[in-house]
Amino acid sequence: MKTYEVFLKKEGKDPFIHAGSFDAPDDEMALTYAREAYGRRSEGDQMWVVLRDNVLVADELELGMANRTHKHNDGQLVAELRRAKSSNES
Amino acid sequence: MAVSKEAHNLVLSFADDELCIGQNHSWWIAIGPFLEEDLAFTSIAQDELGHARALYSLLTDDIDHLAYGRKYSEYRSAHLAEFLCHDWSSALVRHVLHDMAEQIRWSALINSSWTELGDTAERALAEENFHIQHGLSLLRRLLSSDEGHKRLEPVVLELVPHGREYFVDCDLGLVDNGVLTMSMADQEQMWIDQVTETFNEFNISVDISQEAQGMGRSGIRSNDFATLHDEMVAVIQIDPKAKW
Repeated sequence: MKTYEVFLKKEGKDPFIHAGSFDAPDDEMALTYAREAYGRRSEGDQMWVVLRDNVLVADELELGMANRTHKHNDGQLVAELRRAKSSNES
Repeated sequence: MAVSKEAHNLVLSFADDELCIGQNHSWWIAIGPFLEEDLAFTSIAQDELGHARALYSLLTDDIDHLAYGRKYSEYRSAHLAEFLCHDWSSALVRHVLHDMAEQIRWSALINSSWTELGDTAERALAEENFHIQHGLSLLRRLLSSDEGHKRLEPVVLELVPHGREYFVDCDLGLVDNGVLTMSMADQEQMWIDQVTETFNEFNISVDISQEAQGMGRSGIRSNDFATLHDEMVAVIQIDPKAKW
């Protein structure tokens, strides 16, 4: 058995969203089982079924290191400085 | 339209076959050979019960009574649909034999002059194509292995001869008045060809030469029917007001 990942998309602008995973002996049966396990109640209008082995997995340590506060800039600080400056001028 | 006796019996036979097969498939809920197959197989069971319901509703307003309230001799189910098949090899082989027949039977009702029946056939056939794909891909995969072939071959040889009973109904006048677009004999031949070809692929030569006796259609039930019927009516006996 091989493990597959299922992605579903509803009609409209929403992207494909991961729905879950399951096992199947081959690609043909994978489509059958995916439809029954994740799409039998019309949960999506489109479905992607991906062999998990084909998923590129990023390094978790590198992902953790990417969490730096200066990358979360929401413009708050600059806005406050601007406000202070304009009230000083008036 | 006025429904002839032949048309009525044809639909009732089909409905009873679907009721039995749906009930039998649902026996596997939670004990299928693996989780994914369990889900797929029992979802097919639900579809088949849906087909039975749709067909009964063409004949009566009281579906529960027609489905569960008749004497054994008034059922018309084929024996192959009644068999309990409580081991997976026979459940799978019967699933494939039944659905090959079912696909042909629905196809022969597309564009029926009985409009509601034709509409029902169109909806059912969409599901049926999926059922047959499911059954065949699993069966082919298992037959490709030595172990699978060894275990499935005797079951195939045992069950195949019962399949012709699905085509025993009398179709007198039904092709002429457009209820059927294919005679029962043509449907039967198509099923025989498909079954023969499928198993020839795996060097299993099935013997379908024997004409079916049609015991089920004449009111004689198989030995398994009583057990199956007890399961079917379990809920309605606890709660007679329960609705399907």
